[in-house]
Amino acid sequence: MEIKTAEYNVWTEGSTIHYEGTLRLSGTDAYQPILDLMQQVLVEKPQNVVLDLTQLEFLNSSGINLLAKFTIELRKHPDVAMKVLGSTRIPWQSKSLPNLQKLHKGVELLIT
Amino acid sequence: MTQLPDSGAVRSSVLTSFRAKFVFLIGTAVLLSLLLSGGVALWNVHKLSRDASAEIESGLSKTTEEYLTRYIDMTAQRADMMFARTFDQVTMLAQLTQGLIDDPKLDRDLGEFLARYPAFQDSMSYNAEKHWMQNKAGEPSVISVWGYLLDSAGAMRADVAEAVRETGFFDLVVPALMGTGQNKLQMYYVGPKSVPIMRTMPYSDQAQTFDKLYPGHNESNFWDFFFPGVYEAWQGWVKNPGIRPADSDITIAAPYIDAITGKLIVSYFHPLYTKSRDDVAGMVAVDITLEQLTELVQGVKIADTGFAFLAQQNGNVLTVNTTGEALLGVAQESATGAGVTGINRSLSKSRFKDIAALRMPGANETSIIHVTVEKDGMPEGLLVAMHPLPVMNLWQPNTGIVPERLMLGFVVPDREIYEPLYAAQEEIDNATNRIVKGILISVVGFLIAVLAASVLLSRRFTAGLEALADAAGRLKRSDYNIQVPVRGRDEVAQVTAAFNQMALDIRGHTATLEQRVADRTRELASANDEIQSLYEKLRDENVRMGAELDVARRIQMMVLPNATDLNGIPDLEIASYVEPADEVGGDYYDVLYAPGSAKIGIGDVTGHGIESGVLMIMVQSVGRALYERGVDDPCAFLEVLNTAIYKNVERTRTGKHLSLAFVDYSEDRLTISGQHEEAIVIRKDGTAERIDTIDLGFPIGLEANIQDFLSSIVLPFSEGDMLLLYTDGITEAESEDGTLYGIERLIDSAQRVHQRSAEEVKTAIIAALRAHIGKQKVHDDITLVVVKHR
Repeated sequence: MEIKTAEYNVWTEGSTIHYEGTLRLSGTDAYQPILDLMQQVLVEKPQNVVLDLTQLEFLNSSGINLLAKFTIELRKHPDVAMKVLGSTRIPWQSKSLPNLQKLHKGVELLIT
Repeated sequence: MTQLPDSGAVRSSVLTSFRAKFVFLIGTAVLLSLLLSGGVALWNVHKLSRDASAEIESGLSKTTEEYLTRYIDMTAQRADMMFARTFDQVTMLAQLTQGLIDDPKLDRDLGEFLARYPAFQDSMSYNAEKHWMQNKAGEPSVISVWGYLLDSAGAMRADVAEAVRETGFFDLVVPALMGTGQNKLQMYYVGPKSVPIMRTMPYSDQAQTFDKLYPGHNESNFWDFFFPGVYEAWQGWVKNPGIRPADSDITIAAPYIDAITGKLIVSYFHPLYTKSRDDVAGMVAVDITLEQLTELVQGVKIADTGFAFLAQQNGNVLTVNTTGEALLGVAQESATGAGVTGINRSLSKSRFKDIAALRMPGANETSIIHVTVEKDGMPEGLLVAMHPLPVMNLWQPNTGIVPERLMLGFVVPDREIYEPLYAAQEEIDNATNRIVKGILISVVGFLIAVLAASVLLSRRFTAGLEALADAAGRLKRSDYNIQVPVRGRDEVAQVTAAFNQMALDIRGHTATLEQRVADRTRELASANDEIQSLYEKLRDENVRMGAELDVARRIQMMVLPNATDLNGIPDLEIASYVEPADEVGGDYYDVLYAPGSAKIGIGDVTGHGIESGVLMIMVQSVGRALYERGVDDPCAFLEVLNTAIYKNVERTRTGKHLSLAFVDYSEDRLTISGQHEEAIVIRKDGTAERIDTIDLGFPIGLEANIQDFLSSIVLPFSEGDMLLLYTDGITEAESEDGTLYGIERLIDSAQRVHQRSAEEVKTAIIAALRAHIGKQKVHDDITLVVVKHR
């Protein structure tokens, strides 16, 4: 599955979800299609889910809220492990991604 | 769309109508062919006229030249014969005289015989006053004996008296000669240089006339005085007869004014020789007036005003009439010699260069030359024919005897020769004009006939087209009920049939089109009504939503700290800047104060708009309540606030959360708690400290219990130190090329002005931020709080 615009591209490969570009959608409702896409991965009941954010240059606070909600949602699936891939190159990731780990101990954070 | 001319304009416009073009085409074609054939005819007529003129001119010239040549030859022969007759008589007298010189006995016997008759006696008398001797008037001839032949007493020397006596035969012979042949002025004898007595027939007052006209003649030898050089030339001939210029002894003198008669004279001399032929012994001579030559020359008549002239070899014109003198441009001027007066009227001095350039033809040749002179100020062409007479011996004073070839000239004005040609040319011109007129009249007539015929024909040809044009005009005026009658089977008829079909089609389309337009208009009207009502609903909705937004915005702005809140803290100087991205922002900041301590909050609700704004108001209210309740522990403060907000978020199902940090100030110390952007402290000396708040808290409203994540740190904050709090609207503001403003630029711009007041620092930072953003879109709410220790 794939959601693609001029600014960003979100697509899945198996249970890996890739994010690319700049996500600056206004409000929770605007992020709903992306959240649907992420939850669609969970329907398959994979052993683990990977969020690859290494190409996501910018994510606004509503987007961070989306990641937080997905993490909270994941807590209901204790058998599913989640790995979050980030980049030290991108300032917001070091700042915001650790919160995901605080929300759910099963999140493995890998910022390279 | 181009406006088509209506059918009326098509018919009235001369150059655009088809019929006019048709007539124009026919007219042009006919005119061109007529002009061409007319031109060829005219050219031929002119050529014929030119050729005829040339032929006539050539014939006339040939005939005239032949006539002139014949006439001048004949006249020259006549002139020659006249000369010959005079020559014969002079020669006869000379031979008679010479015979007496050669036979002295006969001479004596003749003298004795004549002495018997008194009529032949000379009664000589001496003129003492003038010192010469002459016989008496009434005798047949006059004999003069000059002073230098007399002694002082006035008596003749013996040899002189003998010589006088020996010339007595003159009175016997000469009257016969005078009476025959050409009219002669006089015949005379002059003795040898030793005895130059002069006997002249008829009698005149010879010595008296000489005295009057030629003073000094009685002191010089006759020969040297009157005819210098001639005697010596003859003496040369005695030794060598071969040097005579002409094969004759006769010598002529250039015309002169005769001393005795005063007339213009030509003299013919014949020398006499001694018996032994070793010297000259005088001469006999005859004078002829120039009028006699003139009579011959002026007797020549050619055409109307043609004339003849006689000229010497040197160009001196001897005879010509006054008309001829003017035409030749020569003038008579007198020339005086030693003894005789001549004339000088030279062709070479003519005022016309063609005449001055005339050259004598060779012996027995006739030359014919065309020259141009002036007459009454107009150019006049002349035909000049010239023919030389046989060569003669000419004596000229002081020059001796030279050959002289007199020249006869005939002159005829061209216009008289070519009069027949001019008449013929005029007749040809008249004929040509008649032919040209005839051609022009026939061309014009034929053209008119063709144009008239083509106008009539074109009316028939274009009737169908005009009907079509008329019908098209009516069609243009929306008159679709039209059918043009089809005549014949030509292309126009085919077009007409097609036109009729098209008119029918248009009529059909027009009828249904009106119905279709009416239907479509009805549909559009109904759609428009729906759109109008929808628009009105939308407008109402918009107004309502605008009103709601306005209320939320006003509430949000109302809960922000006012000037009193900012300036009411003794130790701290606070300046702030808030700019929401939408009408309602999601940023939160607050300044709470109670004596002894102050609490400054900064936060950022996810998103912006009405829900974010309302959540921000909730945070402010709960925070204010906790502060007023005196909850001093920062972690407890945040925990309770999180619980309250989390539950409200759950209730309102907004799904939002916020980052939130608080800074407590008390007694030169800052206590920071809660997770938000890094806090920045610029010390008094300008050094900057960045305080990471990631581990000091957790997003508010996301988790029910965040107690485990909460913490706080304490740092000193004394006089001159400065604290910067802000939201990510500042650090993540994009420039036009997409560069984020970033925390380093924020610190840098604060350090530049950190010694100034909080208000000035805020203004400087916002100005630097604005410069960075430029024309780029502002995506997020911007909030900046500057806290400076006084």
